[in-house]
Amino acid sequence: MGQIREYIKIAIRSLRRSPVRSWLTMIGVVIGVFLIISLLSLSEGIKGAMMEQLNMMGNDLIIIMPGEINDLATMMAGGLELTDDDIKAIKKAEGVDKIIPMNYKAEAVRHEGRVKTVLINGVSWEEGLDLLKDDMGWQLTVGDWPVAGKKELIVAKAVPEDIFPGMEVGDEVSIRGKNFKVAGILKSLGNKQDDSTLTMDLNLFIEVTGEREGAKVVMAKIKSGYEVDEVVENIENNLNESRKRRRGEDLPSFSVLSSEKISDIVGNVMAIIRAAIFGFASIAIIVGGIGIMNTMYTSVHDRIKEIGIMKAVGAKNRTITAIFLIESGFFGLFGGLGGIILGLALAKLAEFAVQTTGTLYLKASITPQLVLFGLAFSFFIGCIAGYLPSRSASKLKPVDALRYE
Amino acid sequence: MIKTENIWKTYKLGEVNLTVLWGVSLVINKGSFVAIMGPSGSGKSTLLHIIGALDVPSQGKVFLEKQEISKVSEDTLAKIRGQRIGFVFQQFNLLPNLTALENVILPMVFQGTNEKQRIERAKKLLTDMGLEKRFNHKPNELSGGERQRIAIARALANNPDIIVADEPTGNLDSSTGKKIMEIFINLHKEEKKTIIVVTHDPNIAGYAEETIHIKDGRIIQNHFQKEKILWEKQSV
Repeated sequence: MGQIREYIKIAIRSLRRSPVRSWLTMIGVVIGVFLIISLLSLSEGIKGAMMEQLNMMGNDLIIIMPGEINDLATMMAGGLELTDDDIKAIKKAEGVDKIIPMNYKAEAVRHEGRVKTVLINGVSWEEGLDLLKDDMGWQLTVGDWPVAGKKELIVAKAVPEDIFPGMEVGDEVSIRGKNFKVAGILKSLGNKQDDSTLTMDLNLFIEVTGEREGAKVVMAKIKSGYEVDEVVENIENNLNESRKRRRGEDLPSFSVLSSEKISDIVGNVMAIIRAAIFGFASIAIIVGGIGIMNTMYTSVHDRIKEIGIMKAVGAKNRTITAIFLIESGFFGLFGGLGGIILGLALAKLAEFAVQTTGTLYLKASITPQLVLFGLAFSFFIGCIAGYLPSRSASKLKPVDALRYE
Repeated sequence: MIKTENIWKTYKLGEVNLTVLWGVSLVINKGSFVAIMGPSGSGKSTLLHIIGALDVPSQGKVFLEKQEISKVSEDTLAKIRGQRIGFVFQQFNLLPNLTALENVILPMVFQGTNEKQRIERAKKLLTDMGLEKRFNHKPNELSGGERQRIAIARALANNPDIIVADEPTGNLDSSTGKKIMEIFINLHKEEKKTIIVVTHDPNIAGYAEETIHIKDGRIIQNHFQKEKILWEKQSV
């Protein structure tokens, strides 16, 4: 409608009349939208990174770890192990096809005169290599998988890049006095921590570290024909049984996880984070809206005479309401635009910072929907904030308004 | 034709009632050029506002042609103001943020006239007023006379039958004021508009065909045309 365009013109003119006041008015909305956009896009990015990792894990795979998944802190602190009895109990559970115990330990590794502490994984190549390749998505970019019996290991992506720059296939590394050949370099495993590990056959691992027993992680492959949940339950039952029988010992609890369960957990955590973000951002936006309302009241007051003039030349009450509503909507809109630009800038900055230093390969998620939503939402907030002032403007009597000095 | 029947206007100021118009009845014929003259505080502006649908009387009736406008809704009054009446004020009352052209276009926007027509008509009106070089100037860049001419062009935007002017020359020097009044005479003669001018200045009132005198909220001189003609005949 041609009329709306004219009203928009009038609205923009009056916004430009006092730019300082306009900018100050918009700050509240800018901050609120900035919070929403930057944190939302980052949280989407985190979720995306996590999901990508999960996707590398097949859905016929179950991971058993010591510690309660609900008590993440204690679990992450490390030092917990599953015993050999635990491992046997898992293997016996119905529906379990193969199990691959994995152990890891940090050790001092020497390469070409440099000594660094690196996490070393021990996995049975014989049993586990297929599982690692097919279900966990392990792939080599250079070199070959280690040959059984030979003192060989593979390194993950970040080892030759960050830890021992210049390391190549064929180099020798020394751990606790024993030498190993670097047989191959892995493609990225999805997160910085995993990409900073060395992996060798379990037997070699036991030789080097002296860790004879137990495992830090057990991966179980499901027999075809069995449901994941069913097998999870079976494993849990078996472990509980086995522990009951060893009641004298103090054993840590355990978690049996399928990829589904993990993505559920991730989903829940993300939902809580998102709710918190919305909570804080809403407060900022409400404050911003109040700022707009205040400015609109002032604006109406400053333009009482103009309103009288418009009414004198034929503007109806609802026209006046529309004009001021559009103006306050634009406060919201431009505030939202500013917030979006800042939010996207911050998200990109965070992405860059995390990628170079952090643990996850994070990508800020910026969709057109997010931007459109942000703009529409801010315009809407502006209109709501301006509603009462606009109504009071429309109710002014022309004669009184014209008389106002 | 505009007719007021015994209209009163009273303001409530706290405990006190202030009556500005005391039972004013008059008739203004279509196509006439009338001056309403009176001293300060006589109620002439209030009367003009009521005749011009900017205000409603506290009591009594106002007729615009056959339509009674004393008790209609705000929206209806706005429509009447937009379509049938054009206002010219003493302080010009242009919107300071809009250019001359945009000021003249504004009344047409409110009536939903299409954009092309609006612009064309506004340009024509401003050119008629001798302001073809001022389309994109803002009011604060222009002289008083130029501003009043923009105001008159604006008043003509929707081609109303009635032009209502409240002390149109009050903020202008006498020669500029003369030019403005000549514009009104032209509008009356050429375009057959009904023109009502409120003033305290007899010189300005002299431009009109007839003068209604008002003092203390009452019409002093008997207005109805018939009687005036009789009176004039008598004095001859």
